[in-house]
Amino acid sequence: MKQTIEQRWDLIDKIAKQTVTFGEYTHSLKDAIGELTIKPFTGIPIAIAIMYAFWSIFGSFAGTLFTDGFMVKIFDGHFLPWMQNIFPGDGGWLYYIIVGDPLADNSFEAFGMLTSGLFVAIGVVLPAIFIFYLMLALLEDMGYMPRLAVLIDTVLHKIGLHGYAIVPTILSLGCNVPGVTATRILETKKQRFIMMTLLAIFIPCGAQIGIMEEVIPDTMGWVLLYLIIGYFVFGYILNKIVPGKSPEFLIDVPPYRKPMISNIGKKVWGRIVGFFKVAIPFVLLGCGIVNVLYLVGFIDWVGNILSPVFVLWFGVPEATAGPLIAAFLRKDLAVAQLSVIEMTPYQMISAVVLVSIYFPCVATFAMMIKEGTKEMLGALAVLFTVVFLYGGLIHLIGILLGVA
Amino acid sequence: MAERTIAVIYFAILGIITTAFGIADILVTAGSGSFAIGILEIPDDLFRGGWGGFIVLSAGLFYLSGIRNFENIHQFSKIIMGSILIWIMAGCDIFAMITESIPGGEDGSWFNTLDGFLGMYAPPYAPAVLLLPFSLMVVYYIFKRKQDI
Repeated sequence: MKQTIEQRWDLIDKIAKQTVTFGEYTHSLKDAIGELTIKPFTGIPIAIAIMYAFWSIFGSFAGTLFTDGFMVKIFDGHFLPWMQNIFPGDGGWLYYIIVGDPLADNSFEAFGMLTSGLFVAIGVVLPAIFIFYLMLALLEDMGYMPRLAVLIDTVLHKIGLHGYAIVPTILSLGCNVPGVTATRILETKKQRFIMMTLLAIFIPCGAQIGIMEEVIPDTMGWVLLYLIIGYFVFGYILNKIVPGKSPEFLIDVPPYRKPMISNIGKKVWGRIVGFFKVAIPFVLLGCGIVNVLYLVGFIDWVGNILSPVFVLWFGVPEATAGPLIAAFLRKDLAVAQLSVIEMTPYQMISAVVLVSIYFPCVATFAMMIKEGTKEMLGALAVLFTVVFLYGGLIHLIGILLGVA
Repeated sequence: MAERTIAVIYFAILGIITTAFGIADILVTAGSGSFAIGILEIPDDLFRGGWGGFIVLSAGLFYLSGIRNFENIHQFSKIIMGSILIWIMAGCDIFAMITESIPGGEDGSWFNTLDGFLGMYAPPYAPAVLLLPFSLMVVYYIFKRKQDI
């Protein structure tokens, strides 16, 4: 039976009377706490506290308990000596690629596919990624992430983005690959380009952070500080020079909720499986390729050619050429390689920042191509300019401070 | 009325002490040294002392700004938030102690000895850990508020 407009409105009124309760809404304690986390004056200290907890638990769980507490013992004390003894052809090229240095007494220095490769992937990255994704899932399911998006919206507008950009940014701290995919939640081409470029350059992935926590715990804060400053400075510049619009965003902030264990478990499991499908093959492949390049003399050749740039412009030893090539495959691997090169603490900070900003790893690179070749080429042009300028600037700061 | 006054005085004192601890944390870290007196220890690390000090200071300011018009739900939520910040800081410190106490050390056995394990929980403690028991008083007022409603 067809109804007139009046009849429809009558029906709506009847349904509303039976289902909607009218009255004055009184704030609950949960509402009041929720409001505190959104207002800048109170929300910023809370956000800082949550980030503190995030990194403190990350370091204690992944670094102190698993990697230092057990994995180093397993790999350095048992697995590495066993591999060095059991693998045939000590000193041969296959031994060098698979096991690495026969005299190495720790898995970072050996640099074989099955020694350093497995240690980095399982001993360092697995606990780091597990705890990172567990805490991220907890924050998501509690309902804190939309609040963080609202809180940081004003700041991100300065770099042409809006509050939602916190999603790809934080996802990239786990792995850049889902981070690049998550740029699709931004509305305009300009926003997506800025976000993708900033992710590829300035956001270290969880694997890299895990390895930094292990090899440069004392100076890691400075590396992250340089990256954060770079993220905002170059974001601001990109916002000024890239044409296009940066619209406002509208978000429905849900109430705080108790996270469900089954949901958390599914999310963490899915992300870890996805991450390891990408990470383990690339870490092992990365070790293998870099070892082959060392064997054929390619890395020494590149080091010699780029020596003036490395030594004079960036202020790092020319031996960092090898790790920079490895960084294209896996950045965690590259930082592990840097840890065995002799250099000053400031050179180490510069070198790790360079590894972070110099090029996205191959998995991220593939994902960027998928998102648009034109955007990817633009991002790469920005990337090379940033590496050259920012790398030189960090060296200059070191000279002015008298530490470079 | 008397109970309200007690609560206000309690959280005012807690706020002042928490703020003082936060400032001390930041000053000690800025001076690049550590500080220990009795069961209190302020570490000389930028992460726990500097960043953590800012959070303890914020907790103190939350307490102090929440004591006026204490019955108002928005004001009371600031007191709760002050305690939550202390729980975050103390929780991280205690979690760090737990993770350090389980493995047996670089050249030792796989797991720590019982003495070594218990020794990790001995004083001195960071300011937030000392403030933790006093911050729990807020739980009583949350339940009391629910009963009153």
